Formats: sequence, structure tokens, C-alpha cells
Amino acid sequence: MPPTMSQINDPKIAFAYLRPACVLLTKEPTVTNVETLSIQLKEIHDASLQQLQEYVLFPLRFVLKVPGSKKEKMVQVVAEAMSYILEKTCVQSWDTLHDIFSELCLCLCSPTNPGTPADASEELKSSVLRCLNALLHAAYGDIIFKLYEPIMLPGLGAAISLLLALGEKEKSRDIQSAALKCLQTLVMHCDCTHEHIIPSSDERCSVGSNMASFLPGITTAIARIITGDLRQGHAVTVRAIKVWSRSVGLVMEDAQLQTSNSQKTPPQDLGRIRQLVVQRTPQWLKSTAGKLSVLLKKIISCTSAHRHWRVRLEMVELANHLLATCSQSLKECIGPLLEALVGAINDEEPKVRERCEAALREISQRSLSCRDATSQNFTNVLSENLHSLATSLPRLMRTSDDQKKLFVLNVFLGYLKVLGPLVSVVLNSAAHLERISKALMQVLELDVMDVRIVEERSYADTIETSSDSRDSYSAHVHRKHFLYFTDERIFSVLMEICRTLGYYGNIYLLTDHLLDLYCQSLAYRKQAAMVLNEMIRGAAGIALATQSQRLDSEVQGGSASQEDLKAVVVSIMDEYTSLTNWHLVTVSEETLGDRQDQQLLSPSRLLQISNSDTSSNPANSLHVLASSSASAPPSSSTSTIHQLNSNIWQMCIQLEGIACFAQALGRDFRPLLMTSLYPVLEKAGDETLLVSQAALSSMMDISKACGYASLKELINDNSDYLLNDVSLNLQRLSQHPQAPRVLTVMLAHSDSSLLPLIRDVVQDVLMALDLSYNHSAALFCSVLHALMKALARWFSSSCCRTSNSASSKTSTEQEDFDIRQFLLDYRKQKELAEGIGIEVDDTEDLEVPPPAECDEDLDGPDVKPELPPHLIITKDVMERCIHLLSDPNLRLRLKVLDVLEVCVYVLSERENELLPMAHRSWPALLQRLTADDPLAVLRAFRVLCTLGETCGDFLRARVSKDVLPKLSSSLARQAPISVKAGPVYSHTQAYKLQLAVLQGLGSLCQRLDLGEADLDAVCEACLPYLSCRQPFRLQEACLSVFRHLIQVDPDTFWFTLNELHCPSLYTPPHPDLQPLQLSGMGRSKDEYSDNVLKLLREEFGPESVAASRDGD
Amino acid sequence: MSRPAPTPIYTLRGAGSALNTLHFRCNGEDTPLLFSGSEKGAIHIWNLNSRRTVEVVEAHSGSSVIWVSTLQSAGSLLSQGRDMQVCLWDLREGGGELLDSVWTGSVGFCQCSLLETSSTNHLLAFAGQQTEEIKIIELPSKKPVCTLIPDSKLGMVMCIKLWKPDSGIGPLLLAGYEDGSLLLWDVTQRSVLSQVRAHPEPVMCLTFDPKHLRGISGSSEKNLSSWMLDSQNNIQLRDSVELLNPGVSQLCVREDGRLLASAGWDHRVRIFGWKKLRPLAVLQYHTDMVLSVAFSDHQDSRQRLLAAGSKDQRISLWSIYNEGAETG
Repeated sequence: MPPTMSQINDPKIAFAYLRPACVLLTKEPTVTNVETLSIQLKEIHDASLQQLQEYVLFPLRFVLKVPGSKKEKMVQVVAEAMSYILEKTCVQSWDTLHDIFSELCLCLCSPTNPGTPADASEELKSSVLRCLNALLHAAYGDIIFKLYEPIMLPGLGAAISLLLALGEKEKSRDIQSAALKCLQTLVMHCDCTHEHIIPSSDERCSVGSNMASFLPGITTAIARIITGDLRQGHAVTVRAIKVWSRSVGLVMEDAQLQTSNSQKTPPQDLGRIRQLVVQRTPQWLKSTAGKLSVLLKKIISCTSAHRHWRVRLEMVELANHLLATCSQSLKECIGPLLEALVGAINDEEPKVRERCEAALREISQRSLSCRDATSQNFTNVLSENLHSLATSLPRLMRTSDDQKKLFVLNVFLGYLKVLGPLVSVVLNSAAHLERISKALMQVLELDVMDVRIVEERSYADTIETSSDSRDSYSAHVHRKHFLYFTDERIFSVLMEICRTLGYYGNIYLLTDHLLDLYCQSLAYRKQAAMVLNEMIRGAAGIALATQSQRLDSEVQGGSASQEDLKAVVVSIMDEYTSLTNWHLVTVSEETLGDRQDQQLLSPSRLLQISNSDTSSNPANSLHVLASSSASAPPSSSTSTIHQLNSNIWQMCIQLEGIACFAQALGRDFRPLLMTSLYPVLEKAGDETLLVSQAALSSMMDISKACGYASLKELINDNSDYLLNDVSLNLQRLSQHPQAPRVLTVMLAHSDSSLLPLIRDVVQDVLMALDLSYNHSAALFCSVLHALMKALARWFSSSCCRTSNSASSKTSTEQEDFDIRQFLLDYRKQKELAEGIGIEVDDTEDLEVPPPAECDEDLDGPDVKPELPPHLIITKDVMERCIHLLSDPNLRLRLKVLDVLEVCVYVLSERENELLPMAHRSWPALLQRLTADDPLAVLRAFRVLCTLGETCGDFLRARVSKDVLPKLSSSLARQAPISVKAGPVYSHTQAYKLQLAVLQGLGSLCQRLDLGEADLDAVCEACLPYLSCRQPFRLQEACLSVFRHLIQVDPDTFWFTLNELHCPSLYTPPHPDLQPLQLSGMGRSKDEYSDNVLKLLREEFGPESVAASRDGD
Repeated sequence: MSRPAPTPIYTLRGAGSALNTLHFRCNGEDTPLLFSGSEKGAIHIWNLNSRRTVEVVEAHSGSSVIWVSTLQSAGSLLSQGRDMQVCLWDLREGGGELLDSVWTGSVGFCQCSLLETSSTNHLLAFAGQQTEEIKIIELPSKKPVCTLIPDSKLGMVMCIKLWKPDSGIGPLLLAGYEDGSLLLWDVTQRSVLSQVRAHPEPVMCLTFDPKHLRGISGSSEKNLSSWMLDSQNNIQLRDSVELLNPGVSQLCVREDGRLLASAGWDHRVRIFGWKKLRPLAVLQYHTDMVLSVAFSDHQDSRQRLLAAGSKDQRISLWSIYNEGAETG
């Protein structure tokens, strides 16, 4: 195409330029001539072309008019040339428009049967359609409407049916689209970029009334296209939907029908054509609307879940267009249309979503802004839809597949969003409220059959190890399992429904109703709590569609003020944490063991102390009602796994609820921590894993919501509230056995800044322990253990000073072992020993630096500075431990030994405090070491080792005097028995005791740094256990003893072992040296050799044994 | 079957030393407050809504605070310490600002007594430098009003109570002395109106109900001695109440004249019906001597609290007999 600059702008020159080609074409209608003309046309400027339009069109139309069979190619090029002209110019004369219109239609239809499309080439059809489209665009405003006069009905009808046939039957998508495009232009709703005539309302009315004749045809045919082959490509479907909606919109437009001229009678002189004219009478409208709604439902069902988003988008447009223009005439269709619209509100495709939200916003505003019958009607439709959907929801949730469920719920949500603030009006109707809440209750029913959740236990350790990383919880947090759906998306839509309800509804009404449900029946309790939780979040505007997208950007949003929210939250929380709802059995009876939890279950307990000051709040009446009407919690004897699971989930949901409330109130939740934090912590110490996890994650949410940087900060800042309840409840332990647990959790998550307050409560704990030590000593021991562990953690820097001095010493020495230096030292020592008379034993002591400085002693006993508080606590605790060490209950003794170990560790900071305590505990500890259950023996060894790190000197004498003789004699006594014992022996008490002693002895010897004589005694007692005839685990334990012994004194035990079995011959490096003679040399393999070799290889390097191979 | 033993609704901790005195201010629109004076000279101001300290005023250079009170009209706080000073603090500007102080010269434990004479003027009675001396001054002018010294030797002044009877005569003052005597003084006449020996031991504390003209005093022994004033302003001894354990630190009658609370050395707070002195309840929580008790002055009687401060460094708050019907 030549550039515009060179186009011919003068009509005269243009005429002269084109004339030869036109004349030639008229004379000889050939393809070449047409093509010549069309090339020349492109050089003419638009304005000139307009003047020459008729002239240039004439030869082309002439070609089409010439009777006889025309070549397809010919028609095609002519149509193309005409399209070009029409696209560049306007048609001003009606005759031209009319004639060309008919001529083009003739080109499309088959010569024999004018109703059906010709069997022509696709190119031809495509170019003719393009030409037709161009013609309709080119027509002047005053003449185009003539096309829609009654007189034109037959011609127009023929054209429309042709186009429909092309759109429906044609194979090529392009032609289908083009035909539909033409139709769209015909119904005056072209969406191309050209300028279009905007009809006046009268004109629209007349066009509408004449098109009414074709509406049935158009809508049915197009509906067939839309619902037809899925493979036809989205472009055709989109186009078809457009045509459908525009033509319906044109004919059924409310604006037209409300004016009187829509029903004016047509002129009389039409003859047979009159039969074609349709009068849009009320009856006609009614029947048409009925038929249309049938078609519409078909279309919606086919497209609302269409795979291509453009189709879904177009459906939104359709619904929007029809709702905007024809909501009066198409009353029956409003329901389906709204459903289609709201169904798309959660579309995957953001464009659809945005469009849909915009449409809904318009609609809700329209319905809000005009308070006339229309909007009333609209609200009614919506609320009826909502009601019927709520009614069918449970059934649908049971029967349909996940995709369908999701869609249905999206529709539900959509209704709520469209209703917006009107939701609260709708909910004022008891029937609606009842229906909707029941539907939610049924849909949200949990599947509580999972056995694992009852079995999973959390022990104190898990709380501590993973105290700060959120991920570690969420990683193994159980998802809720619902009876009626599995898809996570469904759950999130349901939750959004709840939030939306809370956001728009009257929060007091909803809360009252749901709390009623919560109290009424066990079956609804969990669901009601779930709904309440989300509702409160919604009421605070949390996690609703992001702020900008809200449907009511201008309308006042959430109905609840912060004050309302707070009041509601307080009442719900009272309900949640009331005794009957908070202290549920989550542990089956057999595992409950000796706990006192059962006592809690009797419903007639005192109200929890934290609740007693809420007398002024409005929920109290409700509260009373709740506790009286709630069915008594299941007694533990009858509780099945099912019930336990259900209880566990209810606990979790309520805990989540408290987190939700905190989120809803933000920092305003802080005052409520006074009453809510304690119950949560109570559950954080629960034995059921799921519950304690839920409580911990709830705690984290709370700390985040209230603006605390961490869990630690949350607990530290509110420790006064917590400790208040802890201290009060410690005094009434029979009613509140969880108080120690709360303390345990606090200790696990806090730091030393808690100490001043804790100190106070520890006194309470100890007092409570002293008072009730038969019943709850076990419970308290776990608190004391937690306390001591916390103290050890908080003050580890001051304790650890002494802890690694002993263990690291030996290993470093070995590394820089220098034989020359050794010999020099040895000689020096020897000289010293001979010359000055120091005992030989002392050589060992000199190597060891004294384990702790004794500076404290210099202060003297009179000026005793006050101990730091943590040491005072430790001493107090240790005092109790000493008493409890000889408790008849083994489990308790074990626990006490654990506590004692940590006590010793913490107290090791002050040797002169530790020693008296150690002295006092010695008799009881000795009993544990020498005459107790193997388990206790083992732990007692651990205590002893810890003790040995600090006060080795103190212990050494006692151990060698009291402990070692007994132990070694018993070991020696048992050794011949266990050698001969059969496999059953490993189940006997004697065996376990042997094992425990052997396992503990090694490290004890090493820690205490025992003297040679004692080591010899130990060695003596243990040697028999090196025999391969001993039970395997005893051998293992014995090996460990020797490993420790070798650490203490490698040379001695190398010698001892080699005495027993020496694998290699040692030839002296110099002939002057005496040859080495070891009694184990040359001895044949016996029962000991395996273990001896193993030890030598491991501890003294492979060469010590490798030599034996050479020797053999 | 009696109801289960009541428990405190809350305990305030963190005062860090024994709590000698308590004072409520809950009748205004503002946040309800509780003031406590500690042995280490700190005055804690507790917010009863959040149950936390709003502020700590370090007063009397670390010596024990034995009495705190607030002036009705202005936002100011009076405190008496064992450094022989009575101090006036401004509470409005974040508190802690010392406005004024009066030197008392008393080394004893006798708490001051305050009487509002008009919206701006107050009378303050306190023990003076000499053994039996009681001084009365006017506030805020600090002008001495009078000095009351009995003729006989009665020992130190232990406790005083200043009030203005409805009959219209000038303010009267009740004083308990070390030898167990109880004296009624006419402040304007500076004369003793009546004198009885209420206890064999020093009078540790007394409280007086001007509405019923009845009072009660406690000592270091087991008996609480109750008495009343007849129309001639004579003190007449009435029944005495025997306690289980000896020693009372403080006595307090609730504003509505229905309850009497005693702070016992036996770690317990005992509640009596004021009318017949019928024992109603024993509040057991503290682990050391209870040093002070106070009833709150909430306008809504249902919110009324009882506070007890103890040597165990805690304050316990109780909500008891608030329903009205159960007062017996």
C-alpha cells in the first residue's frame, strides 16, 4: 500500500485515474480487471473516494448482478474490492444500502434454496461476510434504521437466518465468527473499534420491536451454538454469547418496554408482512421471558464451568448486561443470572474475578441506592436464592463432587457479598438465620475417627526443644478432616463465608445464635465454634477479600465496632474456657493412670477463679444457661476413642478461636490476656500432642496479634497474670491440677527475667508439695524438673565453668604427648618422691588442677553474703528432693533423681553450698546406688557423675568407702552366674542390675578421678565380664567401663589388658634394655582375647594389634 | 454445709517488701487505683483494671511508709514515713513530684488521721515528738491547730482517729495508747472527754464508725474490744470478740457499715458482721502477717473490693459479700 502522502486527493484527477479501469471492467468483467481496479483504488484518498463512491461501486455491483453463473473467484475479488470501498466511505443513499445488502445476501445463499447458505468456498463466504459487515458500518445514521422497518422484515429475516445458519453449521471458525459478528452488528452492538451510530431511545425502540420478530430464532439458534460442540473454540462461543445477550438486551430492554410506543400498532399497509410483525404485549413478553429463561439456564449450566476464562468472562458480561437492562422484563431470569454472576466471584482467573466484582458492586449499589420496588424485589430474589441454596447445601455437599461443591459454595459466598450490608437484614429473619447456620453446621461436620490423634502424646521435652520455630509445629500439624469434603479450597471458601457473615451481619445476633447452638448439642459444638471463630475474624475485617476489592467500597463496612467486638469476644471466651467446655477428657482412662484429672469432670465445680470477676458482662445470663443446659461431659469410663477425638478437636478449635479473637482485637486483646492466657498455657502443657500443638500455635498467634516480638515476651510481659492464677490454683490443687503444668510451660518459654516473680511462686509450689505430697508429688516433680532445667538454662554460663574441666583434660594431654618430656618429668617426680618424701600417689593429683577455686572460703563463715535467688530456689528444691529420694514409688524416685541431677548442676556454681547439700543427700543417694531398681541405679550414677564434676574430692573417699566395695563385690559375685546363664537371664532383676552398674561405673570412675587402688578394684570386678561367654550387653557395658578407665590411666590399663592377653611380642629397640615380659604373651586365644583385642585396637591404635599378625 | 472458702480474685505482686498500708481511690470516673506503702519506702500505685502498677513513687528515702491517703479535691497523695515526715505528692504530672512535707518528730508507728473540713482545707492529726503528744495541723497552710497531751502517763500514741460528729460540735479525736487506754479528745476544747482502758496490752489499731458511733480496737492479744459513745460522749466498753490467734495489725469497717475486716498476725483476714460482730469468714491466703486491710470506695457496691497487704509482699484482692443479701 502506497503511503498516504502520495494518494490522489483531487476528485477530478481521481476520476480520470479510475475511469479507464471502471469502463474496462464493465465491458470485460474479469478477475484481472477487478484486481486492477482495486489496486488503483488504494491510491485514492478517502475523501475523493467518497465522492466517486457510486461511480466506482457501479461496475462492481454490475458484475454481481449479471445473471448466469459467476465464478467464485470473481465474486470473491469483487466483494473484497467493495469491502475496501465501504470501509473507507459512507453509504448515504438508502437504495444503495438496500441494494448492496440484498446483493450480498444473494451471494451467500444457494441459488436454488435462498434460505440456506450457498455451497461456496470459504474464502468467498469470508469476503462476502466482511463486505456485509463493512456495509452495515458504512451506512449513514438516518438510513440504517430504514433497514429495521417492518417493510424490510422479510429481507432482514432472510439475512439473519442465513447468518445464523452460517454461524451454526459452518466448519470454519473464522466464518462462524464473521457471521456472528455480522449478526452482532445487526443488533446494533458491534464491539469493533470503528465509530458506531448511537441510536436514540425512539430508534432503539423501533429497532427492538422489529427485531422482536427474530428473537426466538436468534436466541434458540445461538443457544445451540453456545451449548454445542465444546471443541468449536472459545472465540465462537464468546461471540455467540455476545450476540445472545445483545439481542435479548435489545428486544427485552426495560427502558423500551416502559414507554408507550413499544406497543404502538404497525402501519396498516403491510399486507402479508403484517404477519411477521410482533407486538411486544405483556403476554408476549411473559411467554418470551419464560422461554428465554429455559435457554438461559441451559447456557449457564454449559458455560459457568467452561474451561476457557474468556467464555466465563463473557458470561459475566452477559449476566451483567441483562441484569442492568432487562431486570424487569426478565424477572424469572434474575435468579439464574445472579447465580451465574456470583458463581464467578471466586474464579481462578483474576480478570473474570475483577469484572465480576465490579459487576456485583454495581448491582449491590443499584439495589441499595434506589429504594423502589425494583431493588426490593432484587433483595428478595437474593435472599430467597440464599435460603434455597442454604436448604439444599447439605444435600449438595453430600452428593456432588468437589468441583461442584466448590462452585455451590462460591455461589453462596457470592450472594452474601452481593447482599453486602443487607445480610444483617436477611439474618433478622429467623428462618434464614436458622437455615444458614444449620447448613454450616452440617457441612462443617468433622471426621473424628482418626485414631492417631488420641495416641500421640506430647511430653515435656517436645515443648522445650521446639519452642521458637514456628515451622516445626506446622510441619506436623494435623489437618482437620471433614466428613463431606476433602478439598482444602472448599474449607477456605466455607471460612470466607463465615467471615463475610461476621463482617456484614449483626455480630450480637450471630454470636447469640451460634453460642446457643454451641451449648445446645454436642453434635454442633465444634462446628459452631469454628464458625464463631471465623465470624469474629470477619467482623474485624480480617482476611476478607483484600480491601480494595470489597464490594462496598463506599458503603459503611463492618457493622461491629471495636467495643462490640470486645464484648462479644469476652462472652465467647467465657463460654470456651468455662469448666465444662475447657477441661475435656482427651486422654483415655488407662493412660490417665494416677492422675487426678477425673476429679475435674464433675460439672458442679467452682467457677474458675479467672472467671469470677466478669459479673458485669452481658454474657453472664447466657453463661448460666450454658452450664445448665449443656449435657454433662462424657464420663471417662464411657469415653470411646470417638469421643476423645471429638474432645481433642473441640479443644483445638477453641484454642484456635482464642487466637482468632486476638487477631480480631489486636492490641486491644492485651487486657483480655488476664483471663485467656492461663487457659491457653494450661493446654500447651497438655499430654495430647495435637492439643498442645494447637495451644502453642495459638500462643504464637496471640503474641503476634498483641504486638509481642516473641512467645518469650508474651509470657514475660504477662507473667504476673499467669503466676497469679498459678499461685491461687496451687492452693486448690484438687480442683485445678493443671496449675503446675502452666508453670512448666511458662518456664520452658521464658528467661531469667521471670525469676523475681517465679521465686514467689516457687515457694507456693514447695508449700503445696509439702502439704499434699502423697497425691501430687509426681506432678510437682515434673514442675520442679522444669524449674531446675530452666534455671540451668538461664544460668548456664555460671554453672558450666566447672563442667568441662574434667572431661577435656585427658584428651588434650594425649595429643601432645612427648616421650622425652615424659621421661624427664618422670625422673623429676621420682627424685622428688625419693628426696623430699611426697607420696607417689600425688603424682596424679599434681597433673590435675584443682577443679574449683576455693576463694570463697576466704570470706569466712560470719560474713555470708546473700545467695543469688536462683541458688536459694535450688537449695529449697534440693531439700525436697532429699526427702522424696526414698519414696516408695519408683517412677517418682526416678523423677526425683532427674531433678536432683539438675540441682547439683546448678548448685555446682557454689561449692560451699553444694557440699552440705551433697552430704545430706548422700545416705539416700547411696541407697539408690546400691539397693534399688536398676533404672534408679543408672540415674543415681548420673547424679553421682554430675556431683563428681564439682566435688570430686568430697565424693572420692565416700565412693571408695561406701559404693565401690559393695558394687564390685556384687559384680564379682554375679559374674560366674551370668556366664552360665541362659537367654532367660536377661529378664531377671539381677541382670538388669549388673547392666546398670556396669553402664554407670565407667563414667563414675572417670569423673571422680578415683585413686589407683579403687581403679584396681573396679578393674578386678569388671574383668570377668570381658569374657565372651557373658551376655552380650554385659560385655558391651564392661567394654565401656574399660574405655573410661583407659581414659583415666592409659598405661596402667594397657598393662592390665596385656597381662590378660598380649597379642604382640615387643622387642626392645636397644639390646641394653631388658626384654619385655608380659604374662599375657603367647597365651592362646581364650574367652577374653576378643574383647581385649577390641579394646586395644580401639584405644591404643591398630598398630598395637597389627603387630600381633607379624608376631604370629 | 458452708460454702467453700473464698479465694482472692487477684493478687498483686512485685512490691518487693512488706506492705504496711493500703488506700483505695475508686469512686471517680478515672481508673480505679490502689495505693500501697511498703517497708522499703516505695509507694506503689496499682491500676485495678489492668492489675498492674501504674507508678512507683520512691518516698521517705527508703524508710518504711506507714500511711498513705489521697486528698479528695486535688490529685494529690499524702504519705507518712518512718523518717518522721508526712509528704504531699502531686499525682497529676506523672506523679512523683514532692509538693510539701511536714516533720512530725514521732518515732512510733502511729498512723496519721485526716479530716476534710472543706473542699480545700483538711485537718491532719499525727503523733508528735513527745511520748504522749498528738499534734493537729491544718492543711494546706500547715498552721498548727493544737497539741493534745494527756495529764497521765499513758505511753506512746499508737493509733488515732479524727472525725467530726454530726451533732455540730468541733472535731473529736480518738486515740489509743501504749498502756491499752483509749481516750476521746475534744479538739476545740483540747480536753479529754472520756477515757477507758480497753486492752491490757498496747492498742494496736482502732476503727470508728461515726454513723453508729461505734468503734472497735485491737491489740497484741487475742481480744478485739468493741465500744460505743453515748450521748454524753463517754466511751462505753461493749462485748469483746475473742480471736483464735493473738495480734491484729489493722481493723477496717466497710463504708456501708455492714462488714468489719481484721488484719491478723496469724496470716489471716477475718470478716465480721459489723452489727453484731458475728464472725463470717476467714480469708486465708497470705503466708505471713497481714499488715493492713482496706475496703474500696467503689460507687457501684457490687464492684467493691477488700484488699489485704501482708508481710509476704503480696496484696490480695477479694470480692466478698457484695451481693447485699448475704450480709447476714
